[in-house]
Amino acid sequence: MKFARHTAAAIAGAAALALMATGCSSSSKEQAASADNPVELTVTTFGTFGYDDLYGEYEQANPGIKIKATNIDRGANARTDAFTKLAAGSGLSDVVAIEEGWLGSIMEVSDQFVDLNEHGAADIKDNWVDWKFKQGTDPDGRVIGYGTDIGPQGLCYNGKLFEAAGLPKDRESVAKLFGGEDATWETYFKLGEQYKAATGKAWYDQSGFVWNSMVNQMEEGYYTKDGKLNVDGNAEMKAKFELLAAGTAAGLSANQTQFDWGTGKAFTDGSFATFVCPGWMLGTIKGQLESAGGGADSGWDFADVFPGGASNWGGAFLSVPKTSEHPAEAAKLAAWLTAPEQQVKQSAAANNFPSTLKAQEKLVADATPNVLFNNAPTGVILANRAKGVVAQFKGPDDSVIQENVFGPALKMLDGGTANADKAWSEALTLLNDLVVNN
Amino acid sequence: MTTTLNRAAKPAVIKPKPTWKQRLNVFDVKASPYLYVAPFFILFALVGLFPLVYTFVVSLFDWHLLKGQGDFVGLQNFVEVLQDRFFWNSLFNTVSIFLLSAIPQLAVALFLAAMLDQNLRARTFWRMSVLLPYIVTPVAVAMIFTNMFGEQYGLINNVLGNIGLDPVMWKSETLPSHIAIATMVNWRWTGYNALILLAAMQAVPRDLYESAALDGAGAVRRFFSITLPSIRPTMVFVVITSTIGGLQIFTEPRLFDPATAGGSQRQFQTTVLYLWEMAFQRQNFGKASTIAWLLFLIIVLFGLVNYLISRRIATADAAKPSRAARRAERTTR
Repeated sequence: MKFARHTAAAIAGAAALALMATGCSSSSKEQAASADNPVELTVTTFGTFGYDDLYGEYEQANPGIKIKATNIDRGANARTDAFTKLAAGSGLSDVVAIEEGWLGSIMEVSDQFVDLNEHGAADIKDNWVDWKFKQGTDPDGRVIGYGTDIGPQGLCYNGKLFEAAGLPKDRESVAKLFGGEDATWETYFKLGEQYKAATGKAWYDQSGFVWNSMVNQMEEGYYTKDGKLNVDGNAEMKAKFELLAAGTAAGLSANQTQFDWGTGKAFTDGSFATFVCPGWMLGTIKGQLESAGGGADSGWDFADVFPGGASNWGGAFLSVPKTSEHPAEAAKLAAWLTAPEQQVKQSAAANNFPSTLKAQEKLVADATPNVLFNNAPTGVILANRAKGVVAQFKGPDDSVIQENVFGPALKMLDGGTANADKAWSEALTLLNDLVVNN
Repeated sequence: MTTTLNRAAKPAVIKPKPTWKQRLNVFDVKASPYLYVAPFFILFALVGLFPLVYTFVVSLFDWHLLKGQGDFVGLQNFVEVLQDRFFWNSLFNTVSIFLLSAIPQLAVALFLAAMLDQNLRARTFWRMSVLLPYIVTPVAVAMIFTNMFGEQYGLINNVLGNIGLDPVMWKSETLPSHIAIATMVNWRWTGYNALILLAAMQAVPRDLYESAALDGAGAVRRFFSITLPSIRPTMVFVVITSTIGGLQIFTEPRLFDPATAGGSQRQFQTTVLYLWEMAFQRQNFGKASTIAWLLFLIIVLFGLVNYLISRRIATADAAKPSRAARRAERTTR
């Protein structure tokens, strides 16, 4: 009866966990961890989180705490992992990282997470940029997640390739080239066509990320502020889609695979010259360059400019599920990991951009040059890029719309199997099938 | 047996009241076999039957992955899934990948088994070697093949490019993607099936081959007239197990493009993969359970067809002297 294997596995897993739970739930009233009362906390993160050293530091400072960490390769898989365990009613870690894109889904079952107000969230509330803290608060005012990083977007570009194509190479000139504060997507695609004419190569890796940036930049994305679907009949969104489709049709997309890029080779072989970069993406690029054997000589740089103005894509939260055996200790760990001092260290390890004000100030003050990105002061640039960012409402099916509705439509553009109209109507059909009539 | 003795004695005298020990004996004879087989059935009821029934119950509801049970909708989920183009697409992909894998796999496995049945040097070495791919986990196999079949950086397209051929779009075109996935399946299962067929071949009496050879039958004739008919029951077993396995294929297409549930345009989304997408991405547990049940029914259907075909083959065979007849002939001789 293999077809029901997941059900059987879930039951078996639940039984095993129930046994384990009864084994260690002797203290119904949670005692603080100490050398005499050792507590093991499990943490699940995804992508490049930069927590590895921090876990050790926390264990040192808090005798009796043992951290067992799991990192899942990418956000989409972390989403499946979290949903599966939520559905099974067990198996979630004590601290779970949640991505902004699927926070909307989590909010629908926010009662399955510990209200961090019971563990002092109100005292540290002002640490964060206000919109980030609000995002982690459910409609009933329960705080279910402490923000880790945010995703202000700058423009990654390859200086070597720019130079070879006769474009300026240094950051300031590149920012000016794209239009500085008034940078538009029109300019971005026009420059792409120039680059394509000069070199015959692609401008961006694939359409999906450009599209995510465009949508995240809008005041209202796939949902309106009051939670209604906002795709069909959205003229502004459709105009952006057509702009992107025209660029891709002109050969500006390298049709790469997201989060694969030929295990990083596409970043070293000159397949494309620009890349839309939220803060955390710098860490992703670092990982890709490492796996492809590239380094600072690959030519990547980071400019203080973004087409269409300020944009925020992604960022994560740390939550404590109700199933945790040690909610107080878990909340304490989550608060510590997301405190400004630790966010600075996280940012150094993962290249992402912190969501607390003090950590951001520290990054700006330090202005540490990022060797991998031609010594660009990435922290300062990201802080500039974060100015004017407004949080967009994320609905329950936001990540499904991004990946399962627009993903296929954009891939049709990349593969050259559809024009703008056909791809857009495909997206609408998919939206109807997968979301509206699901 | 005690029962028959009792019955024989019945009309003669009034049956003496059986002693406690006798009763225990009767109970032992009657009940023990059931107790011995009980563990299997109890386990099956727990991990097989219960999920089966529970899945059916879930399929009758609007059931959200996270929010849980919703309204009772009767057979509405079945109606909707049967009208769902993606469901039929997934069924087409599943059958296509199944045919692309099962047919070449069986042919090659038969050939391999026939070769291994010959007098080879270091026989055990060769026999164990064909089993090697089977002991590698499917995830590892899928990752290696996925890398090889990469469209822009894959080994195969690199080689094709070097000899001046156009790259094959292994992941974005339907047929190439099915071939690529079937290759993974074949890599893993051919050796395994070859060994099962080999075991059957070794049970074929050698004197049959000898007398056939004396009568002037060549190697090919001996294979088709002796080996194949003799291993038919094993062939049926291999066909049925690979049908069930083939219809439930998940790991290979899942990992062939880890970012999507079976290709950006569902080029190689199999039914189990669609079930997975329905449950864990679209979060519709009701419909996912419906798909699980439909898949179950389809597998039962395939099993029945297999059974009928193999029975027909068996009866068609009866016209010629069957194995049993031949054996009988031998013993009387």
